[in-house]
Amino acid sequence: MNPIFRALIPPTRWRRPVVVALGIIAGLSLFLFYISNAASYLSDNPKTCTNCHVMNPQFATWQHSSHREVTNCNDCHVPHDNVVRKYFFKTQDGLRHATIFTLRTEPDVIMIKEMGQRVVHENCIRCHLQVLENPEEVEESGEEEEAEGEVEWMQRKCWECHREAPHGTVKGLASVPHAMITPQKPPVPEWLKKLVK
Amino acid sequence: MENTKKRKPWVNWALFIGTMVLVFLLGLLASSVIQRKAEKEYVFKPTVKISEWEARNEVWGMNFPREFQSYMGTADTSFRSLYNGNAFIDMLEEEPRLVILWAGYAFSKDYNQPRGHFYAVEDVYNSLRTGAPKGPDDGPQPNTCWTCKSPDVPRMMAKLGVAGFYKGKWASLGSEIINPIGCGDCHDPETMDLRITRPALLEAFTAMGKDLSKATHQEMRSLVCAQCHVEYYFDKKHPGAEDISYLTFPWKDGTSADSMLAYYNKVGHVDFVHAFSKAPILKAQHPDYEAFLTGVHYDRGVACADCHMPYMKEGGQKFTSHRVTSPLAYINQTCQVCHRESEEKLIENVYQRQRKVKEIRDQSEVLLVRAHMEAKAAWDAGATEPEMQPALEHIRNAQWYWDYAAAGHGNSFHAPLEMARIIAKSIDETSSARLLIARILQKLKRNADVPYPDITTKEKAQKLIGLDTKTLSQEKKEFLNTTVKSWTGR
Repeated sequence: MNPIFRALIPPTRWRRPVVVALGIIAGLSLFLFYISNAASYLSDNPKTCTNCHVMNPQFATWQHSSHREVTNCNDCHVPHDNVVRKYFFKTQDGLRHATIFTLRTEPDVIMIKEMGQRVVHENCIRCHLQVLENPEEVEESGEEEEAEGEVEWMQRKCWECHREAPHGTVKGLASVPHAMITPQKPPVPEWLKKLVK
Repeated sequence: MENTKKRKPWVNWALFIGTMVLVFLLGLLASSVIQRKAEKEYVFKPTVKISEWEARNEVWGMNFPREFQSYMGTADTSFRSLYNGNAFIDMLEEEPRLVILWAGYAFSKDYNQPRGHFYAVEDVYNSLRTGAPKGPDDGPQPNTCWTCKSPDVPRMMAKLGVAGFYKGKWASLGSEIINPIGCGDCHDPETMDLRITRPALLEAFTAMGKDLSKATHQEMRSLVCAQCHVEYYFDKKHPGAEDISYLTFPWKDGTSADSMLAYYNKVGHVDFVHAFSKAPILKAQHPDYEAFLTGVHYDRGVACADCHMPYMKEGGQKFTSHRVTSPLAYINQTCQVCHRESEEKLIENVYQRQRKVKEIRDQSEVLLVRAHMEAKAAWDAGATEPEMQPALEHIRNAQWYWDYAAAGHGNSFHAPLEMARIIAKSIDETSSARLLIARILQKLKRNADVPYPDITTKEKAQKLIGLDTKTLSQEKKEFLNTTVKSWTGR
């Protein structure tokens, strides 16, 4: 057996208490996994992002925008060029969010970071490529030469002009005080069910 | 044991302390997660406690000033679009033909373009259709007519039961139904979740074999409207509530104009017998939701609230406008959320559709008036009931299709193509009726054209059908000054 591994094995009479201690740690970890809905982070469901209520403004504004018909959060906010980069980015960003949220250091008005901006911009182009490639539109804007190649496209961000798409210019938790995110009760109240029966 | 102690006592201490620290930190993290999850619930805690049956919109408004203020905007009557809007428009004055089409039914007395939710109760007092009851057991209408007017309704239904509420004359609940349509009709008082409060929608879903309690939030943003903005009838044969005007949506076999007509024919429902043609007529109410289901906006996942209750910005806050009105009143918050065309262009797109549907609808109305007058001429000439029966069936169908298209306020925009199809069916049914009647008239040796009546004004049309609106208005005035004052205390 590996000597390092052997060194970790406690003496015989200590084995039982150590197993109990490890059980407590594993149990607590599982509990943590469960209460934080950790499994949901593997999905693309926008509701996952409102596990932390500080994302309510972003969810509510998206839900009232035309983008809600064609995108979810991940379509824009994580890279889609390859699976490895997607999950690396998601893990990196997610762990940062979780840390900031746990330490209660999140700002009142949340602004996107440079790394996130690049990803969102890439994703704007991923879906709206046609608009950029259409020579007529490029000519109209008088930027035919500049618009050659990806480099130029990355220089100016889409939302420098399209400021309202899709979250609007109003931000911060106080900006959507009564947004309905997750219904807590079923749509048909018990009293009505009883009345109809 | 001695051996271990002597050799490395610190190992055990390290193990002990290490485990303790790890468990302590894990516990701390877990409690933090639980705490922050609980915070989520408190993001949305109202300050004033609202009870289950709170019907006063201003009490809800204390917690939700912006929503309430926008709701009060439904009191505005200054917006007019091409044909509708929120202004008071006497529709019988606009189109006196309607008086003839509804001859023999209360709608020929009074029919106005509906004003905002704020006026729901006031306008039902004012309508000549509700008459001028002198006591709680007097008057032409049942209590069922209150169902869609007020958040006082669920409260009274819980007290009286559903059939118990519908039972009795309209005047008997006058002192209970006070607050106009508002918060409690669509919201849960504790969580503010959207909820269903009217039994008819739940019963209609059950009849269709659908589970209303599985509705998603986006579906609920239309379904709360579908509690009222739908086609309905008063079922006098509801099991366990016979002879009570039981509010029922005719959706059992589907919500299209055709399946509802088939349903009505199957159950043998008749709203009124036409005063001139004696045809057993169906009065379409306002199949707004059903028509919307056949349009492209529904197909693309849009809900009623998306256009009629847009997300508004006021200062630094965003909220849902509760000023339910025509989306054309603020195109920037409605159409332009999805469509990038200019305001003028979008209005033109809407009006173009409405104008075209109106054009063929007008034609179908003229033909229907002719059919009613010609049927009357046939009766006058001595036609028999078996002779007339097939033609009257066609008139019934024709009027149903026409009224389905006409009665839904937004139909010609919500589903222009479907409305054109339905109006075409109406015209087809009318021509079948007129052909049969022409043959009867020919058989009875009446070969002269039946003249189109002089109905250029509402007064002329109402006189033609023998309505004494002067007395009706006089009685209404008296009713408003005495009975209604005793109800409202104002």
